[in-house]
Amino acid sequence: MKILVAVKRVVDYNVKVRAKADGTGVETANVKMSMNPFDEIAVEEAVRMQEAGKAQEIVAISLGVAACQDTIRTALAMGADRGILVETDAELQPLAVAKLLKAVVEKENPDLVILGKQAIDDDANQTGQMLAALLGWPQGTFASKVELGDGTVNVTREIDGGLETVALKLPALVTTDLRLNEPRFVKLPNIMKAKKKPLEVLKPADLGVDVAPRLVTLKVQEPPKRQAGIKVGSVAELVDKLRNEAHVI
Amino acid sequence: MPTLDESATPLLDGLRAFIDPAQVRTDPDSRLNYGRDWTRLYAPNPLAVVLPGNIEQIQGLVRYANEHRLALVPSGGRTGLSGAAVACRGEIVVSMERMNRILEFDPTDRGVTCQAGVVTEALQHFARERGLYYPVDFASRGSSQIGGNIATNAGGIKVVRYGLTRDWVTGLKVVTGRGDLLDLNRGLIKNASGYDLRHLFIGSEGTLGIIVEATLKLTRPPREPSVMVLGVPDLNGVMSLYHVFRNKLELSAFEFFSELALRHVLKKGLQRPFDAETPYYVLVEFENPDESHTDQALALFEHCAEQGWLADGVISQSETQAKELWRLREDISESIAEHQPYKNDIAVRISRVPALLAEIDELLAREYPDFEVLWYGHIGDGNLHVNILKPTDLDSATFAQKCGAVSEHLFAMLQRHGGSISAEHGVGLTKKPYLHYTRDETEIGYLRAIKQVFDPNGIMNPGKIFD
Ligand SMILES: Cc1cc2nc3c(=O)[nH]c(=O)nc-3n(C[C@H](O)[C@H](O)[C@H](O)COP(=O)(O)OP(=O)(O)OC[C@H]3O[C@@H](n4cnc5c(N)ncnc54)[C@H](O)[C@@H]3O)c2cc1C
Ligand SMILES: Cc1cc2nc3c(=O)[nH]c(=O)nc-3n(C[C@H](O)[C@H](O)[C@H](O)COP(=O)(O)OP(=O)(O)OC[C@H]3O[C@@H](n4cnc5c(N)ncnc54)[C@H](O)[C@@H]3O)c2cc1C
Repeated sequence: MKILVAVKRVVDYNVKVRAKADGTGVETANVKMSMNPFDEIAVEEAVRMQEAGKAQEIVAISLGVAACQDTIRTALAMGADRGILVETDAELQPLAVAKLLKAVVEKENPDLVILGKQAIDDDANQTGQMLAALLGWPQGTFASKVELGDGTVNVTREIDGGLETVALKLPALVTTDLRLNEPRFVKLPNIMKAKKKPLEVLKPADLGVDVAPRLVTLKVQEPPKRQAGIKVGSVAELVDKLRNEAHVI
Repeated sequence: MPTLDESATPLLDGLRAFIDPAQVRTDPDSRLNYGRDWTRLYAPNPLAVVLPGNIEQIQGLVRYANEHRLALVPSGGRTGLSGAAVACRGEIVVSMERMNRILEFDPTDRGVTCQAGVVTEALQHFARERGLYYPVDFASRGSSQIGGNIATNAGGIKVVRYGLTRDWVTGLKVVTGRGDLLDLNRGLIKNASGYDLRHLFIGSEGTLGIIVEATLKLTRPPREPSVMVLGVPDLNGVMSLYHVFRNKLELSAFEFFSELALRHVLKKGLQRPFDAETPYYVLVEFENPDESHTDQALALFEHCAEQGWLADGVISQSETQAKELWRLREDISESIAEHQPYKNDIAVRISRVPALLAEIDELLAREYPDFEVLWYGHIGDGNLHVNILKPTDLDSATFAQKCGAVSEHLFAMLQRHGGSISAEHGVGLTKKPYLHYTRDETEIGYLRAIKQVFDPNGIMNPGKIFD
């Protein structure tokens, strides 16, 4: 079995994100970038399947600027076998990413595609669903458990009010939720091995995909500052403020 | 806690004449909370808790205390580990927490002046927001105060690169035990005009006076720090690794912990860094701005693995992972708190660490085979934390007494190695009986004489460091 895993390069989860002064986006110059945490979970899940003898090959794919190669190398160091970068400096929106991934899926013919449920930069939560629709494949989104069967995969999903398990026929698409697994740390010797693993670079044009944005960003701005708390003198005053100022009771 | 001594009411009313009466507190909660630090060995019993709002009030308080022979305990975040901020003998606690403003920042000086009650982490954030860095850092950063850091000359996890609190203080305003306000060094880098009293207040544990303001240097933030955790089969390997890594990489931390210590952190739900268990681990943080640095680290790793100095290792791929790896070391202290550990914080020259560790291990295994002993610490500074966990079936008093006996052995050993009984936690109450292992009688005589100059009536934190 062959698994394709998508990995996105995003602003590190620990960085305090700032809006650019001109309102065109968020500041990314001199900001630490790393792999989208949900994609780390996706890579981990694929590697565990391989370690359990259920998958033969894992291909990690990233789309975007040349520096996305670093993100792919991390996936390779975690255990993926080879990488593909679709390189472009253009802004990539979820539909464009889904179309590019579809083209790569058609080239690679994987049995399973695993993506994060969303990327922590734009929080769109669209790519997996769009890709499944474009491919006409079954999808198991928000996975907290994934069990491979014979030509099938059972995906336990986190939904409002509990868990739901769906049985999908392969080929299928899975998007990961936070509780699926805890990604491993990368071992130093594996970084050396990762450098020797193949990494193919393609252009959107090679795949015949038009990546022109469909959505226009009007403005990006900081959320309003939270006001400082106050100390109240008594329970009565607290109740009064909750009722008449905060209007929450 | 003993109830309030009512006979003191008129004395406290005298204070209320010049300090907002609401800031002179005698309620049981305040007396309990402000009467103790992170240690839980002493029953708090302060007379009152005063929260001054400005320097004039502090000077008034110190003069008043001299007049009426009241003992004062300067109080910061009370995260201290030596009982130095404990008030258990009817003292007045002087909490600096309301004096928490950052007063001045100058990008050309790269310096910041703040009140002593500013929380360490608040200063770190202040620097970060200006593209700068205050490098003194440790797990209690969210509560400890700049004044407390200075009064203990706090060290922490970045000392290998950035030194101790002492190295960042360029100015101090202090109210001495006589009530005088001294403005020491005023942020100057160079000042060759006689004795530098600033340095006497750094590490003085509140026994000379009250630090009211400080001017601190800032520096540029480290570029893209990466964190490695390496598994080390034996102790000599730890020092070999240190030697090799510090020669080739810009290290900002070199920390160490034992498998036994790691297990306590893992119980709290953290992930093992890699499958293989080794008796010891080191955490290495280094500047890793580009691939050539990563390559250097990889080459060193291979070299050290060939020598048998390390068995396995991981490296962070993101800031989030770097933080997770740091937690393996930083969470130890909290994860063992429930076992009421008997703590020692000792230092020797770096080169003496393996010999000392081997001797101590041998001593403990021989004399106290039933005790669980955990090792961790800032080994790159020659600083080790020895923690002995209380066996559940042993009562606290017997345990303390047995550990006291361990300490005598341990400190005699340290004395032979020219080490210190307190690397960075201070002497306070816990290490007071052992001071003579590190400072001889003649030297202690000089310490007393200095105290006499700044605090002739002995009102500043009496009974701490020495009697
Ligand atoms: C989880 C944990 C980890 C820690 N890690 C480290 C570490 O890695 N390195 C390290 O060095 N320490 C460490 N500590 C110890 C402690 O946090 C530091 O010693 C810290 O500097 C104490 O600051 P504080 O404000 O809490 O001081 P307090 O505990 O309130 O006081 C300490 C001493 O300073 C005096 N003092 C406080 N403020 C003033 C003032 N304004 N003027 C005069 N005297 C004053 C007090 O009288 C007392 O003698 C750790 C503590 C904890 C709980
Ligand atoms: C051309 C020139 C350039 C200079 N440039 C600099 C400079 O860039 N920066 C700088 O800081 N200085 C500079 N100096 C000044 C001087 O060289 C330094 O202050 C130097 O440290 C003095 O050392 P010394 O051994 O000559 O001391 P001395 O002049 O012999 O003594 C200086 C003081 O130290 C005391 N002293 C000497 N030895 C001891 C001891 N063993 N124990 C106790 N006290 C002792 C003496 O009693 C005296 O008080 C310069 C001088 C010259 C002539």
